[in-house]
Amino acid sequence: MATAVVPPGISLREIGTAGRGVRPDEVVLALSPGFAGFFTKTIVDIPHAEVVRQILAGVEEQGVHARVVQLHATADLAAVAHTGARLSGSGIGIGVLSRGTTMIHQKDLPRLSSLELFPQSPLMTPEIYRAIGRNAAQYAKGDSPQPVPTLNDQMARPRWQAKAALLHLKECELLVKGAPATEVDPVIEDPA
Amino acid sequence: MSLVVGVDIGNSTTEACAARLTGNGIEFLGSGLVPTTGTKGTTANVDGVEAAVRAALRTTRAPLGELARVFVNEATPVISGLAMETITETLITESTMIGHDPRTPGGAGLGVGITVPFAALDECSPGEAVIAVVPAGVDFAVAAKGLEAALERGVGLRGAVLGNDDAVLVANRISRVIPIVDEVRLVDAVPAGMTAAVEVASPGRTIRTLSNAYGIAGLFSLDADQTRAISPVARALTGIRSAVVVRTPSGEVSDRRIPAGTLELRGGSAVLRIDVGEGAEAIMAAVGRVAPLDDASGEAGTNVGGMTAAVKQNMADVCGLEVAQVRIGDLLAVDTFVPQEVRGGLAGEVALENAVALATMVRTSHGPMRQVARAIAERLRREGAPDVEVVIGGVEAEMATRGALTTPGTDRPLVVLDLGGGSTDAALAGADGTVTTVHLAGAGDLVTRLIASELGVERDVAENVKRSPLARAESFFHLRLEDGTVRFFGEPLPPTVFARVVALTEQGLVPIPTRHSVDRVRDVRRTAKQRVFVVNALRALARVAPYRDLRQIGFVVLLGGSALDFEIPELIADALAPYGIVCGTGNVRGSEGPRNAVASGLVLAQGGP
Repeated sequence: MATAVVPPGISLREIGTAGRGVRPDEVVLALSPGFAGFFTKTIVDIPHAEVVRQILAGVEEQGVHARVVQLHATADLAAVAHTGARLSGSGIGIGVLSRGTTMIHQKDLPRLSSLELFPQSPLMTPEIYRAIGRNAAQYAKGDSPQPVPTLNDQMARPRWQAKAALLHLKECELLVKGAPATEVDPVIEDPA
Repeated sequence: MSLVVGVDIGNSTTEACAARLTGNGIEFLGSGLVPTTGTKGTTANVDGVEAAVRAALRTTRAPLGELARVFVNEATPVISGLAMETITETLITESTMIGHDPRTPGGAGLGVGITVPFAALDECSPGEAVIAVVPAGVDFAVAAKGLEAALERGVGLRGAVLGNDDAVLVANRISRVIPIVDEVRLVDAVPAGMTAAVEVASPGRTIRTLSNAYGIAGLFSLDADQTRAISPVARALTGIRSAVVVRTPSGEVSDRRIPAGTLELRGGSAVLRIDVGEGAEAIMAAVGRVAPLDDASGEAGTNVGGMTAAVKQNMADVCGLEVAQVRIGDLLAVDTFVPQEVRGGLAGEVALENAVALATMVRTSHGPMRQVARAIAERLRREGAPDVEVVIGGVEAEMATRGALTTPGTDRPLVVLDLGGGSTDAALAGADGTVTTVHLAGAGDLVTRLIASELGVERDVAENVKRSPLARAESFFHLRLEDGTVRFFGEPLPPTVFARVVALTEQGLVPIPTRHSVDRVRDVRRTAKQRVFVVNALRALARVAPYRDLRQIGFVVLLGGSALDFEIPELIADALAPYGIVCGTGNVRGSEGPRNAVASGLVLAQGGP
């Protein structure tokens, strides 16, 4: 399935099948099948290395532990995020699709609900990814973070929908039916 | 037998009570309650009156056409005004200190050194004690690498100040534990080449050295005069987890009092001037000394002056009077505090500044009630009640006591405390049938205003905080209520309330957007109610009680919208318990609760024996 291309800046070293965490101070970052593999950047060309780095930095700054898993059986954002939440010791998970769409989820919520949803992938920035990591970690600690302001651009849909649909189809081609989520160690090059 | 309706036009609600007058008594039929339209006592009230009359008749299915008489009360038009002025201001000059308490500082300890910009760190020689100042544009990995390189060269790196929210990230990436303060918005304004101290306390603790004047004096070798000058810096840094103090040639923090203006209180026997800056207690003592208050005015050209002028102008417009004829009949001052950004701060520091809130009440002897009555009659006749007559039925306070006395278990001498939105009104029905009344400024609206300013939230949020008990959604399946008990749910709670402080309103859970804990919000709510309602209840009772002796009062009946509150009646009852007074929320006609007293009283007065 995956390609041999090593994306610049990030590689996901596979550790094994992802298990359920027991640490209450843990947030799970769940990545879609093509993340940092077939795809290397989001719909607006933010490198996947930067996305993961900023989310993990946001979590770390709060003194919370992060674990990264990659899904192979689904590319649906709610399913990705909810799987991450159910694997997380704190019950808080972050799901990210290759094109950049993101969601913070909690294990007790219905799958199609969410704590915070960032539906318009073209409007995402590294600062928003940092804030998402920060908020997820604060939920895990039992704090009451102010939700990250979500942007809305009326023109995002007509401008980007076709590209988003193509990216989604491409990602769906990578699906492996029934494959379990794998735990990965993200190896990220720091900027000089 | 005739169909009558009593209508009470209040500041915020219009209530109606429908009844049939028969030869041998009164048969109460139904009640109606709608929001008041327009300012009380103006013809704009007609829409609300019509709606209230219709609502009262709807519950009985009596046709509008049968309506014979409508009684309205001779209301003393009472208009309340609110204003709040801060009376202190904290100022930082020359960027002496940073004390904004970021949520996640890095490392721990206390470090003293010379401030060096991050870019110039390479030029430091080994052994030099430095504090690195890292601008916001620098990535955390780059910052950590730069600091680590300096440490390896033997530079005495004692602490760091960052622009980004990166302190923990940087602390995790360097080999030595040093105190790091982050999220300093104007980090570029930190002066370079100055001696500075950075302190970070371990989690759960607060800084010890920089919040102590002698601690700072020891670090910077200050003499007695200099220590006196920096003591406000130490005071400003108490109770926080991290801080930076920079020693500059003439920087200081000052706690300045703003001239808020003087109030002139004119009473029957004396005229007193009082500076608003002296605080609520001094103002209320002065109000007590001149009582009864004839008028109050603020010094022209000051905030107080502007506020009193606006209240008077508003009242003059309503009554068609000259501004000079309008008098402020009562005034309630309350001490409060307002979180405000510190001027001259580098990191958006917020200080709680003292403020005084003033509620004023204006009354005139004659409201335009006749016009209102005529307008109501015209409207109802047009709407299908051809024979209706609108009668001004009596004084509001008298009617309220009549209505309140229908509460089972009451007797004279009885005091009605009407806890409204704008004013707190009291009426004493003496054993001999006399009625003494007093109208005091300050009620529900002032409580909302205090909550809004002290928590720094919007008015509608404050309204929810005022009306409902609090809880925190600790998981999707349970709430921790403000009294510490837990409530479980079978269905998951909505995601919008997860991990938040919520108000348990009748419409469900409403999240309160605040960083404060449940305990803090509850404390603000209860003290706001204490400072307004309990203070006013005691003030009002003292004014109407025979010989100003509260023990001469047998019963106190609480009426009005705020009497429906879940804790105000308790707070007042607790405060009155030492005087042997029976105090409780009214239950008009044994069925209406604290509502409808005046409307019921109007009907009773007309049809009764």
